[in-house]
Amino acid sequence: MFGPVVIISASTMAGLGLLFAGLLGFAHTKLKVEEDPEVTEIEDILPGLDCGACGYPGCHQLAKGVAEGEAPPDSCVPGGEEVAENIADLLGLEVSSEPGRMKLAVVHCGAGNEEKKRVGQYEGVESCRTAELTTGGNMKCEYGCLGYGDCARACPFDAIEMVNGLPKIDPDACTACGECVETCPRDIIVIEELDLEGDFVKVACNSKDEGSAVREKCDVGCIACGLCEQVGPEEVFSVEGNLSRMNYSEYGEDADFDMAIDKCPTGCIVLFPSPEEASETD
Amino acid sequence: MELFFIFVAIVLTQNFVLHFFLGICPFLGVSDEMEGAFGMGIATTFVMTLTAIITWNINTFILKAFNVEFLEYVSFILVIASLVQLVEMFLKKYLPELYETLGIYLPLITTNCAVLGLALFMVLREYNFVESAIFGFGAGVGFTLALVIMAGIRGELNEEDIPKPFRGTAITLLVAGLLALAFMGFSGLVPT
Repeated sequence: MFGPVVIISASTMAGLGLLFAGLLGFAHTKLKVEEDPEVTEIEDILPGLDCGACGYPGCHQLAKGVAEGEAPPDSCVPGGEEVAENIADLLGLEVSSEPGRMKLAVVHCGAGNEEKKRVGQYEGVESCRTAELTTGGNMKCEYGCLGYGDCARACPFDAIEMVNGLPKIDPDACTACGECVETCPRDIIVIEELDLEGDFVKVACNSKDEGSAVREKCDVGCIACGLCEQVGPEEVFSVEGNLSRMNYSEYGEDADFDMAIDKCPTGCIVLFPSPEEASETD
Repeated sequence: MELFFIFVAIVLTQNFVLHFFLGICPFLGVSDEMEGAFGMGIATTFVMTLTAIITWNINTFILKAFNVEFLEYVSFILVIASLVQLVEMFLKKYLPELYETLGIYLPLITTNCAVLGLALFMVLREYNFVESAIFGFGAGVGFTLALVIMAGIRGELNEEDIPKPFRGTAITLLVAGLLALAFMGFSGLVPT
């Protein structure tokens, strides 16, 4: 049934494969590196996603860092409290993070499909990175969300959904791993630490253009008028480089944002759902 | 003299990266820092030299002897993958510092087309054993040279005020093209 060529080539490849497998197997036992058993144990607890949100290249390197005391036991972002506690138990350490606060990816653009003002036509690949790299897309605003959803595709937890040309982040699913932050070519998404009891408020704009230029390019952009600094909770809003930014560590649960949201002339200070509210609407 | 010409040809006039355009991804990917570029170059040189030596033996004593030369692609890839694994284990054991520095680039040598290209060229040009070894080593030296020059230029470019449309990928590709043109100046060094 088989010609001699088939048999010869099959046995040649099998022979070579076996030879190299044996060689590598031998090398593996000879060159085996004794790992610290603690590192292996920590690595077993870690989720093994290699997402890099902790600042280390992967879970193995983080496990090493934790075992050597370089990194705190709650470094793993997607693992959350559970992983942090397990590691702390193993090492006999205390988890230092404050309860009642959560990290979350926050999208700093509020221009949906209707608000995005466009010039000309973009016929390229439907990807934010490509659009930004080639022509900057066809949007008038150089800072706003391009809307092709690179962040949604990059999210390992399916926490981002593109709704009306803007990423919508599911606060329950988001682990603040930072993949979207890394992916977004315009740096619109930022990881912020929010107070679970307080209001979830953000400045939905990323434009560093001057007020008049923003007016021309977008209806819902921050014109850096500075009203929010005056009417908002003390020390929370600050306008720098033609853009209002919030300092999330400066307010607690009783801060009142009604005035700021109400008075913002372009309406770019907006509420967004906290995990509790998000699960209620479902 | 013949051996010297083979070496000079593969380093300068027929450089794998700048003449044949093989191994472009590490050339563009790892050339942003001098240290990484040099480490990558050395690791690749090591793999290339060993690949040349081992594949020559396999080709001559196994594939040609059994008349199954069509297996060269498969068996060469097997050799390259195994070698990279071996290098990785060796570095992890004896040079853990270098292992950490190279990180992900090390296993990526497996998919470096310059390494496979080297093995195939060697067969095509019917080199003998010593010629093959020189060819493999020279290819690695040439690869390192291209990477280090590129890293140097890109280091300088970081300080420059590049026009906006050319920033990032565009200027890198332009520089790579110009570098290839510059290397054409070496043609004629080696009699063909």
